[in-house]
Amino acid sequence: MLEVRNLDKHFGGLAAVSELDLNVSQGEIFGLIGPNGAGKTTVLNVIAGTFLPTRGKVIFKGEDITRFPPYRRAQRGIARVFQRNVLFRSFTVKENLLVGFHLRSSKSATEIFYKNAAAHNQERVEREKAMQILRFVGLSQQADELAINLPHGYQRALCLAVALATEPELLLLDEPLTGMSAEETATMMDMIRALRDERGITSVVVEHNIRAVLGLCDRIAVLDYGRKICEGLPKEVVENPEVIEAYLGAEQDAV
Amino acid sequence: MDLPAQVWVQVVVNGLALGWLYVLMALGLTFILSMMGILQLAHGEIYMIGAYIVYYLSVSLGLNHYLAMLLSMLIMATFGILLEKFLFRPVQGYLLPPIVVSIGLTLILTSAAAVFFGLFERGLPRLAHGSFLVLGSAVPKDRIIAVGFSIGLLVLVYLFLKRSKYGQAMVASAQNRESALLRGINPNQMSRLAFSIACALAAVGGSLAGAIMKLSPFMGTPPLVKGLVIIVLGGMGSLLGATVGGLILGLLDSVIPVAFSPAVASIAPLIIVVIILLVRPQGLFGHE
Amino acid sequence: MNRRQIIKPTSIVAIIIILFLAPVLIESIYWMSILALACINVLLVSSLRSIKLLDHISLGHVGFTLIGAYGTALLVMKVGLPFWGALIMAGLMSSFVALVLGYPFLKVKGMYFAILTLLTAETFRSIAYYWRGLTGGQLGLLNIPPPSPLTFPGLGTISFDTIHNYYYIILIVVLISLSIIYRLEHSHLSFKWQAIRDADNLAQSVGINVAWYKMVNFAIACFFAGIAGGLFAHYQHNLSADATSRFGVWTTLYLLIYLVVGGEAKFAGPIIGTLVLMFVGEFARPLGEFQPMIIGALAIFVVLLLPGGIIGLPDQFKLLYRKLLKQTTGVQGSV
Repeated sequence: MLEVRNLDKHFGGLAAVSELDLNVSQGEIFGLIGPNGAGKTTVLNVIAGTFLPTRGKVIFKGEDITRFPPYRRAQRGIARVFQRNVLFRSFTVKENLLVGFHLRSSKSATEIFYKNAAAHNQERVEREKAMQILRFVGLSQQADELAINLPHGYQRALCLAVALATEPELLLLDEPLTGMSAEETATMMDMIRALRDERGITSVVVEHNIRAVLGLCDRIAVLDYGRKICEGLPKEVVENPEVIEAYLGAEQDAV
Repeated sequence: MDLPAQVWVQVVVNGLALGWLYVLMALGLTFILSMMGILQLAHGEIYMIGAYIVYYLSVSLGLNHYLAMLLSMLIMATFGILLEKFLFRPVQGYLLPPIVVSIGLTLILTSAAAVFFGLFERGLPRLAHGSFLVLGSAVPKDRIIAVGFSIGLLVLVYLFLKRSKYGQAMVASAQNRESALLRGINPNQMSRLAFSIACALAAVGGSLAGAIMKLSPFMGTPPLVKGLVIIVLGGMGSLLGATVGGLILGLLDSVIPVAFSPAVASIAPLIIVVIILLVRPQGLFGHE
Repeated sequence: MNRRQIIKPTSIVAIIIILFLAPVLIESIYWMSILALACINVLLVSSLRSIKLLDHISLGHVGFTLIGAYGTALLVMKVGLPFWGALIMAGLMSSFVALVLGYPFLKVKGMYFAILTLLTAETFRSIAYYWRGLTGGQLGLLNIPPPSPLTFPGLGTISFDTIHNYYYIILIVVLISLSIIYRLEHSHLSFKWQAIRDADNLAQSVGINVAWYKMVNFAIACFFAGIAGGLFAHYQHNLSADATSRFGVWTTLYLLIYLVVGGEAKFAGPIIGTLVLMFVGEFARPLGEFQPMIIGALAIFVVLLLPGGIIGLPDQFKLLYRKLLKQTTGVQGSV
């Protein structure tokens, strides 16, 4: 479904990503891990369209989306959850979702001045859809709270909900589990799995929490210094000597 | 375009003199912008008040012209400290409030000048009479003196920034606020310093300009616009950029009216800047 | 219906009625002119606020006013269009230029955008000042005719060569414009603008074409700036583009002050700010050169002490009231 071909991304003189090939199949949960600075978020940024690659292609459902700006990728069905809690600060939880619905609802210019019955109806339908998604992520109680008033874990869930509002086929999750308690982590992992099982949503997950990634992902790719050093099933990756070396090396540097 | 070489020499010297005056404005704007992140739209009025102080001291009170300029510098530097502390520090960190504060200040200062000195134009005594012979053409001495002053001041500022403890602290603060804080540099002190130096420079610029051109309560607005053009051209936050940009603009402002027409002269720099902001937003020497 | 739902529309209707009666109540040409100019300014400041809704500070609004003003005047005088057609066309010209410039301009942030727009307006002004062929150059355009008289069956003919009558055109155009802006601000369009303002990266990733929405916002705001300019041209009857004119930097500064003093948080802010400051300015006029000083001091006072502007006052009072209540009764009163 998603293919990254021969991706290079340079910032000035620094090669953040080199010669990366990725292949993500429909319906799988694909993990992207690696020590700090390996370029994982950069890859996600390229797939999402925040960065343009220096070289290489990104192909989604057979279409070359390499040069598409982020909003066009969203139209094609790619949704993104950012690393930090990026939310619409002045909106409530429900309103945050309604922004997400923008993509799938068509609103005409005349609605600015006059809303006919159909428009009112559509808004009602949207509000119901929003509540559905909120129930899924467990935020239905907080629907009218200001998004910024939520605790961190709930905000994370809201970020996911907003992404879901665009009815995506591919989810890009940038460290969805950061700062979460064990309970919240398990819930999030269940949700990602449920999205795959119930709605067929493919996910690419960048994470630091190795244990979670091993438990959650169908396949994993490991990056180090911008290059892919390993790709495969979780148990293969975990035993790969290069991977261990990369992480140990990183630990030694940190010490 | 077929003008004798003498005219070109005069035009270039004029351009350089003008350029150095612009540099004095632009440096001040850059100091305040890089130290406090504030666009000080009233800086043109500081320039203007500096000139009027010299007028009052030298013409009304009969003080020696250069002494008046020195006093004007000191007065405006002190004024700058007060402005920083009471007007601008409270609104630091936001985008619109400092702009509105500086707009209010513009109105107040312009008004004050009109109240005290009237709306009609005046002039400061010329810095020198007569002219030198340079490359076969007569170059007015006062332009040379203005250039000399400006360069001298610039060298002093440069030495201050490079050699003195406070100057180096200012540079460090401008480049990286957090690490400067960690090193124990007091940001308020830096802002104070930046503001007072900026105002002193503007005061000198105004005094020199008042001697070459005319004084009026509204004389501060065109230099401010030029100052904005320069800091964009040279790069916001770059002192080298402000200097080079100022000189380039001064030359353009002097050469283009002669080579083309005054119309082109007023439009060209603006269009250049608009293009630069879009193509290379960091300007010639800026870093962002 | 609770109290608030009755008070607000009633007071608006009352104000509108008073505004329509103004030419009957006010005899002085001078004060009528001030009121007319105030209406034009209200439109300008309100449209400036629209741009601010996307966190962009446009210091170049007068540039688009200039396009509208000269555009209307030239279309009427040189091309022979009737006033209404010229007005709309000039507004469209203004928004067209805004669209073209907006595409590159809106990509840059805060300070850069402010400086860019300031310099752009100055460029337009310089062009108008020097282009003798088109705009009359330094002399400007003179003798701009008033709109042609309108004949209403049964009411007779109304001619617009007096300010008392022309005021009605200004009032109607401004009221219509303000209601359009108001509806826009409470529409799904503005919902997206607010989303873009809060987090434009997130807006992008949920499929909002941020650049497009910003351009639309800018173009609409500049359309109304152009309309205001057109109204101004036929109000003033002559146009000039020198530095101290209506199209210079000083007007921009005043417009910003009106916006901030009024308060940018609510739709009524610019209206209140403009009216209050213009009338303060008028009452300070006998003080001569002190007048700008008073406005300037007021602006600084508001920015430093009253960040929400005048319309922020009710909220400030509420907070103060609640604080006092807590202190005196020791109870958290809910107001």
